[in-house]
Amino acid sequence: MTVALLDVRDLKVHYDTREGTVRAVDGVDFSLGEGQSLGLAGESGCGKTTAALAIMGLLPSNGRIAAGSIEYGGYDLAKLTDAQLRAFRWRHISIIFQGAMNALNPVRRIGEQIAEPIILHEKVEREVAMGRVGELLELVGIHRERSREYPHEFSGGMRQRVMIAMALACNPKIVIADEPVTALDVMIQAQILELLERLKRDLKLSMILISHDLSVMAETCDTMAIMYAGKTVETGSVRDVYKRPNHPYTKDLIGAFPDIEGPPHLPAYIPGLLPSLIDPPSGCRFHTRCKYAWQRCIDEEPPLDAVGTGHRSACHLNTSERPS
Amino acid sequence: MNAPAPYLVLRDFRVWFPKRKGFLEAMRRSEPDFIRAVDGVDMDILKGEIYCLVGESGCGKTTTGKGILRLVEPSGGDVFVGAPAEALASYEEAKGSNREDALEDIRERWSLSYRERVQWSVRDIGILTITCLVGLVLASGIFAGLVAASLVLRVPGADLLAPILAGIVLGAAATLPPARSVSVLPKVAATFAIPSLVLGGLFGAGIAQVAAGSASDLGATAAAYGRILQSNVPLLVLQVLVILGTAWIGASRGVAYWQARRGIESDKIRKLRKVLQIIFQDPYESLNPKHSVFDIVSEPLIVNAITRHPSETKARVRQALNDAGLRPPEDFMYRYPHELSGGQRQRVSIAGALVLDPDFLVADEPVSMLDVSIRTEIIELLLELRKKKGLTYLFITHDLSLAWILADRIGVMYLGKIVEEGPTSQVVKNPRHPYTKALISVVPVPDPDRRHERTILRGERPDPANIPAGCRFHPRCPVAFEKCGWTSDEVLDELRQVAVGEAGVQSSLARAFVDGPLSITLPDGAATEGWIRATVAGRSEQARALKGIRSIEASGAGLRLLLHPLVEPTLTSVADHVKVSCHLFGSSDDARSAS
Repeated sequence: MTVALLDVRDLKVHYDTREGTVRAVDGVDFSLGEGQSLGLAGESGCGKTTAALAIMGLLPSNGRIAAGSIEYGGYDLAKLTDAQLRAFRWRHISIIFQGAMNALNPVRRIGEQIAEPIILHEKVEREVAMGRVGELLELVGIHRERSREYPHEFSGGMRQRVMIAMALACNPKIVIADEPVTALDVMIQAQILELLERLKRDLKLSMILISHDLSVMAETCDTMAIMYAGKTVETGSVRDVYKRPNHPYTKDLIGAFPDIEGPPHLPAYIPGLLPSLIDPPSGCRFHTRCKYAWQRCIDEEPPLDAVGTGHRSACHLNTSERPS
Repeated sequence: MNAPAPYLVLRDFRVWFPKRKGFLEAMRRSEPDFIRAVDGVDMDILKGEIYCLVGESGCGKTTTGKGILRLVEPSGGDVFVGAPAEALASYEEAKGSNREDALEDIRERWSLSYRERVQWSVRDIGILTITCLVGLVLASGIFAGLVAASLVLRVPGADLLAPILAGIVLGAAATLPPARSVSVLPKVAATFAIPSLVLGGLFGAGIAQVAAGSASDLGATAAAYGRILQSNVPLLVLQVLVILGTAWIGASRGVAYWQARRGIESDKIRKLRKVLQIIFQDPYESLNPKHSVFDIVSEPLIVNAITRHPSETKARVRQALNDAGLRPPEDFMYRYPHELSGGQRQRVSIAGALVLDPDFLVADEPVSMLDVSIRTEIIELLLELRKKKGLTYLFITHDLSLAWILADRIGVMYLGKIVEEGPTSQVVKNPRHPYTKALISVVPVPDPDRRHERTILRGERPDPANIPAGCRFHPRCPVAFEKCGWTSDEVLDELRQVAVGEAGVQSSLARAFVDGPLSITLPDGAATEGWIRATVAGRSEQARALKGIRSIEASGAGLRLLLHPLVEPTLTSVADHVKVSCHLFGSSDDARSAS
């Protein structure tokens, strides 16, 4: 095991809304090793993006970190003030936002948009920053002369490359990619994933890949954390999670993907809906949809315990027999 | 013939969108440019079949689906739905033997994309003329009324006010929604009629007053009016503009009205929509947030005047919701879309399509916006409906792994054309077209042990307004060879790229020019002949455009490169039910196996 570069422990993020407190992230654990890529997977609304925003210190004004720690380089990012966080943001940890189509400012040249974080964070002259923009664009496979163009002159895949160049602007150690290929075509998706893999290798980046698409993660990640209703239910190496899934939710989720190399039958599905995050179910949150659930799952919350080397899962089946 | 007649048949189906051009550009080149979204698709779908159309976004799969339903107007080709086998046979025969008249007859009778040739009848021209005249008269009336009023009231500057007011009236008329052109005509008339009535009255009163007060006659009034116009050029210009503008608006409204009358070949389209329905991609956007589930699902019944009585409508809606798996229907009927989950919304979309009891559904990426955990539920529903109601599907998706578990047959589309078609197992397990091979190789597999070799295509798909010559896939094709359609521009670009770092060759190539689609001239190419021959022989596996060079000839001090002719491959049968459009599978004499 490599040394953990980023260690998230029991992170809780709550949003205050008119309906009540939404516990969007309610106990998330994962750690990211140096030079590793971690996949954060789960259905939409399970808190993946919120966890990422909390790490970046970019939560909306009604969101707050209620508990837990985010250890990075000897600091706890969860306890720092906004001004202190600014020193880490972009220079240590950067993010590729979801939806490349809309994340760029349509009325500014892309070169200037990429230069902005460099000028702000590294306090350099514009000329120096623009020189760096050229390098960044070539790094992601865009001709440097295109830095004078506007976002609408780029296709979706190219805009995603611009977003990647922007995330790399200040030589970060960790890049968080939030659904980087979701809105893109399969072919462009493959191009972008190939680019991310190359950058990770060449620049020795650590990466957090957020996606609902487990089959994309199987091809790109080293370790995985599966989230359900704001909680990490299983984490481990990609091989452990796919080959020896422990948690019933992980099994169901993997089973829900059609496999072009397997026999042509319909994948299974998970009945029911994601529970409300304002008033989450007691005990194990998955008990409302779990086919193995019994009384203990309703009464008692299962801890995230080791089930193998570096493989942890939160399920009562690991510690007790299901009464028949 | 004992094979059953296909239920849906497309022949040379095309949807072209005219490209918007600037005024100057339009003046320079008279012929319109088209974005060829769907560019000649042939398709046969059997009754009860699931046909999956796959391809990258922008390849025209959605436009094909919408074109079949005439949600976008097809530009050419034919759509037959449920046509008898004899009609289809005689259509093919008439087409083969070029019998125009017979073809027109069959098309008019059976083709759903057939449109009558536009002919202006005396009545149409009459309607248009009258609209223009009414516009002119009303405008003049308003104008004259306002001027007269200003003369009578002797308000300083009121003569300028007249055209301004007339302009406001015109503006109001012009903002009437053109979409409702059928009902617009009375509105236009009302917009003009009321002010012109009032002002016409004022005009009359003005004349009377002038006549009485200054003992002048009508001629004197006209003369006074003429003097004002002479001395006030802006007023004169404005008057002319206002009158012409009104006439133009009148005419364009008239045309819109006429087109709307013409466009409603409503019988055919309505009939079509009763048997063909569509499920849209995004249930978060395709449902009106201000309509309840009942409103959404009952709308097709009401606009098509299918049910006469509210209780009947309610029974049909209840049945449709039940069929779509929203049970019990009463629980969902009066909810609004925001009260439903993504899967439930998509079920509402499906209920809306089912309520007319169609035979054929176009399902446009019906699950791509849904979470993986519920996709299978929706797919199961669609399969169950096929079994229960004998539905036939055209399933549009970009996800080949979904097509794999679902489809009976797959058609792979690239830039508006089908490049490969066949039974699912053949297309997925034994892809033949290089594009299909690449697409299948990049489908992610949910298993970390099976990370396999991916064929990632270079670049992005070309612009459908500017489709490459020859085989439209050749610029991105990893195995493109001589006859795939390389043009002089592509070859010259490739040569220049290969020559980077060779100063002498580069300067010679800089002076090279294209003198035809298949020929390049290098004015001082004699010196570089050796390099070019060596490069073409040695580098053409990497720089594939170089394969397009057929011969290198000396011409004076220069060099002429001649290219292979451009041939567009056609969709040809290569095995049982498998059709491929690729030169690798063309006529066998010069096809070579893929390297």
